Amino acid sequence: MRTRMARTRSALAALLLALAALASGCAATIKPWDRDLLAQRKMKLVPSDREAATDRHVYFSKEGSTGGAGVGGGGCGCN
Amino acid sequence: MQLDRRSPLRARLGAAACVLLASAPAAPAAADTSTDPAPGASATQLELSGLVYGEKGRTDVLEPTVRVTRLFANGQSLTAEAGFDAMTGASPTGGVASLRTQTTTSASGQSTSIPASQVPTAMFRDQRESFDLGWSVPVGPFTATTGGHFSHEKDYRSLGANAVVTLDLLQKSVQLTGGAGMNRDRVDPVGGAVRGLTPGDPLGTAPDPKRVTSMLAGISRVMSRRWLAGVSATREVERGYLTEPYKVLDVLDPATLETAQQLREKRPELRTRTSVLASSTWHFGDAGGDVGYLNYRWYTDDWGVRSNTVDLKWRHDLDDRHWIQPHVRGYSQRQADFFRYYLVQGEPLPAFASSDERLGPLRTVTVGATYGFQVPNLPGEWSVRAEYLHQWGPGKLTRPQAAVAGGDDDGGDAANGGTVDLMPAVHIGSLLVSYSIGF
Repeated sequence: MRTRMARTRSALAALLLALAALASGCAATIKPWDRDLLAQRKMKLVPSDREAATDRHVYFSKEGSTGGAGVGGGGCGCN
Repeated sequence: MQLDRRSPLRARLGAAACVLLASAPAAPAAADTSTDPAPGASATQLELSGLVYGEKGRTDVLEPTVRVTRLFANGQSLTAEAGFDAMTGASPTGGVASLRTQTTTSASGQSTSIPASQVPTAMFRDQRESFDLGWSVPVGPFTATTGGHFSHEKDYRSLGANAVVTLDLLQKSVQLTGGAGMNRDRVDPVGGAVRGLTPGDPLGTAPDPKRVTSMLAGISRVMSRRWLAGVSATREVERGYLTEPYKVLDVLDPATLETAQQLREKRPELRTRTSVLASSTWHFGDAGGDVGYLNYRWYTDDWGVRSNTVDLKWRHDLDDRHWIQPHVRGYSQRQADFFRYYLVQGEPLPAFASSDERLGPLRTVTVGATYGFQVPNLPGEWSVRAEYLHQWGPGKLTRPQAAVAGGDDDGGDAANGGTVDLMPAVHIGSLLVSYSIGF
């Protein structure tokens, strides 16, 4: 139990560190005229919403884990 | 028309696509402000898809979906989606492979003969209809999205709602996300619910509804001219009837390790899940360059399941109208505290026990690729994804020689010295075809 709590604390600390790094000003603010690559449709964190939705459904029914990317959505009797 | 040409309509449609599942936004909006459509413009996008999914020797699924997104001139969007799943085939009962031929009976009364040394399965047939609605409203730097969900199966009904708010900062270089959702699901097992860890004693009452509440917090930002990154975390609390109503758990004779009795599984009525997802997208080269997508998810819950998931996609544009995207995913899971392959007769019953392999020490590897294309002189875009999933676990059971000699004389177990796989590899193939068109 103690080991699990320690791991959870470590993971949460890593998360806070990542959040701080992302929220900090250390990454440059890219001006609009430099966003040609970022503006491409393929430049997304989730390249296809349809594939992502299908994967959530499939892996929810085949594995013990879920979550990380959204809230709510379709309940399913498959697991 | 180039697939990657900046399109204000598509940019908005892409943002609207996040509405239905109230998921973390795909990324900071990058240069959206410079390409908003002219005031008064509105548009509709229709997306059709079909999934064909098959597990070797087990379940087959056919799932067509249709989604319509309507964008309004004031920036609001309304999304509606309908889906239909047709499921048929065989599902593991939770029992262990025997040295003898076994007969299982499904909830609907259908009998199946299971050859010696094979994991017992029961035949089933079901269908699921689902409907989702989403509405997105931009207010200054904020965008509020709300959604609702309804789905129905023979023995399960789900009703849910969710809301997510995003805030764009620093010229849309940073996007903060917060959201919440709730589901109230009703489980109505065929033949009635039974008490856990009994041979099938009736529960006597309808099972408690399954109530799910979830929360989301996330941040994503533009890290450089060619790099997006994000972290999101979700916490989900499930309460109510969380037991799989049809799964059994074998109680083995301690001498022969053959099944002496079967009990229904039993799980706690509370589960708290925590997930953290880190995502990164990197653009290589110039405008036509490759793009890599790397995700890592860390998961834990109070049932003792912990997992790590790594997902890598790589997009390569073949030309202006064709692209290909290989995909590989790895998943590793620690078993739940109350997971048991089987129980042994004479030993005290635990408070909870399940042999559901999805709560076991599971591994999954997925490989596949998506091919995207446009047909010359025809509107719309197509994509075809083919994937192979390999899923396995380490469990084995070795029976004593006396039991091997007394088993069915089909050679299988005798040749293996009476050792059977408790979580044999599952081979899964899937094909997803999508078509989208705007008008």
